Amino acid sequence: MPNEETWKPAKTDKSERLFQLTCVLLYSERGLTKRELFHAVDAYRTDLAKSSEDDFALNKKFERDKSDLRDMGIQVSNPDPKSDPDEMRYAIAADTFLWPEDIKFDAQELQLLNLAAQVWAQASLSSEANRGLVRLRGLGIEPATSDMLGFAPRLRTHEPSFLPLSQAIEDLVEVSFDYRKAEGEISRRHVQPWMLRSIDGQWLVVCWDKDQKAVRNFLLKRIVSKVSFRTVQINEKESELVRFEAPKSEDIQAAIEDLESHTASQIAKLKVRRDSQAWFHFNLGDEPGGDAEISFSYMDLHLLAEELSEYAHDITVLAPAELAKAIRNRFEAVANAHA
Amino acid sequence: MPKLKGFNGEDRYNFLLALVGYLGHRGEVSIEEVSNHFDLDADYLIKALKSLNDATAQVGGFEEWPFYIDIDLLDEGVVSMTTAEVIDDVPRLSTRQVAALSAGLSYLANIPEFAANADIKSLMQKVSSGSGLGRSELISIAPGSVEAGAETLRDAILSNRAISCEYINRKQEKSVREIEPLRIDLTAGVWYLRGYCPINKAVRNFLIEHMRSIQILEREISDVATKVGEIEDATYVAEATDTEVTVEVAPEAYRLISEFQTLSEPKDVGSGTIRTQIKVGHLPNLGRLIAKYGGAARVIAPEEAREIVRNYALSALGAQGREIDREVE
Repeated sequence: MPNEETWKPAKTDKSERLFQLTCVLLYSERGLTKRELFHAVDAYRTDLAKSSEDDFALNKKFERDKSDLRDMGIQVSNPDPKSDPDEMRYAIAADTFLWPEDIKFDAQELQLLNLAAQVWAQASLSSEANRGLVRLRGLGIEPATSDMLGFAPRLRTHEPSFLPLSQAIEDLVEVSFDYRKAEGEISRRHVQPWMLRSIDGQWLVVCWDKDQKAVRNFLLKRIVSKVSFRTVQINEKESELVRFEAPKSEDIQAAIEDLESHTASQIAKLKVRRDSQAWFHFNLGDEPGGDAEISFSYMDLHLLAEELSEYAHDITVLAPAELAKAIRNRFEAVANAHA
Repeated sequence: MPKLKGFNGEDRYNFLLALVGYLGHRGEVSIEEVSNHFDLDADYLIKALKSLNDATAQVGGFEEWPFYIDIDLLDEGVVSMTTAEVIDDVPRLSTRQVAALSAGLSYLANIPEFAANADIKSLMQKVSSGSGLGRSELISIAPGSVEAGAETLRDAILSNRAISCEYINRKQEKSVREIEPLRIDLTAGVWYLRGYCPINKAVRNFLIEHMRSIQILEREISDVATKVGEIEDATYVAEATDTEVTVEVAPEAYRLISEFQTLSEPKDVGSGTIRTQIKVGHLPNLGRLIAKYGGAARVIAPEEAREIVRNYALSALGAQGREIDREVE
């Protein structure tokens, strides 16, 4: 039992229990049955003493702890999965747990990782990055001192869908959400989320769309409902999450390349007023002359319309005609919303 | 920076694993060194070490102590741990830890200093091979464009010098300005310079893309500028003369909220649309700021602000005369 001078956990703090569970599972080479485990971990034993007949709650607690450990990168395995459920043994295999010996970092690399962790403005991702750093610190390397002075790169996620989607991607769970197309039409989407991408400050999720039976990219800011994890009823009382197979790396790569070639094929052409803000935005330099005509490729017509709205007074859209129309529609919507 | 006071919950668990791994590598070490290495309060560290000593593992009916900390040495300020060999190194990273670190690294690659750094790619590789579950492709950041002036500005910041540049403001007015640069922000692909403006006597945000012909001056930045402490992270710095504006934003325009200082907790008014109050410095700017969201952001009050946005939209549509244009900054 922890004595006076040691850290005293709050009732809700599970770190002591998880730590002990980890030690026990690492310690035992053959693995332990649930029964043995419930006696080996102090917190479980206390629970067991309280409710000797029904250990349904304790079983649930153990399942939750296992999934917490998994979220933290620690795999509880079953050395002999074919055995009787009551005789099922649990263990943590040292080779899946311990840091691989051949992967080493030097002081510069650790410094870069420190900087990478500071990039996240989003609280939850920033704590994940910092927890990762604490582990790497355990390798004993002192990072080189930071000379990032002068730069403050920040990665932001404004979209509430970011966290549930990253969780679903990690756990390979299908999700549903309402998606509002740029034209305003809302529809329910059912997808297998593969990866979150940030392109020019816009977050999108690369998915397998179950209804379209095709790979699709969805902009997070157009997701207008909560992201719900899909479940299926297994019997009258219980349901379970709908999971999917981890996507293949080459499928993700193909999706990225598809989007790139789609972007390359869409060309916009503008006339930019000399020395206006748009002129500066497009970095057109200070050589003498008149207005300029420029063309460039774009990923999404409506995103481009949004970007160009800021320069509506400085530019004339030459092509495509839909872009000029999209910009007009946006301003009409603004005027109507403020009539 | 003051040291961390301690950890709770998941963070404490995570730290205990790292600590055990560290001590396994390091052998006998002073409390001070461990406390500096983890940037952690020494008292908390001692408590954590003692709790390791108390940890037991019942295996096969026997009570085992996986860690033994020499308490006498600990009282003298030295940490010495004997451990069963099963847990003598740090654990692998979780999938989420790998994702957060890798995405952070790929965002760093946007900065001139790191853009050419081949280490970043190999480092990302290394980080993901330390993943416990072997998956790393959760989040990816596509490389953006590096703003041309950023490197010059950074040289100025590191040498404490003022700069001059040609700047175009929101009113489309071009002028040559002197700025005392403090920090370069890269937020959602947009580069800003936080700088002290000697004319306005205040820290201002400058869009780096609106700068041209940047020159580093001989003169150092003023005392006032060096004394600017923490720079706020919000792009917009509020002032007393600001106007309170009530807005409703749909998910497509949530970004607007983080660009301003909000005065009230955003309230959900249905189907993802939230209502909040923001502070606006120069009201005429609001037209451009709100209009770019194409109706996804809506000003509710005051009427004056609504009119500015309406007129901006109408002028952009060319439905109104050029007169209104002059109000727009």
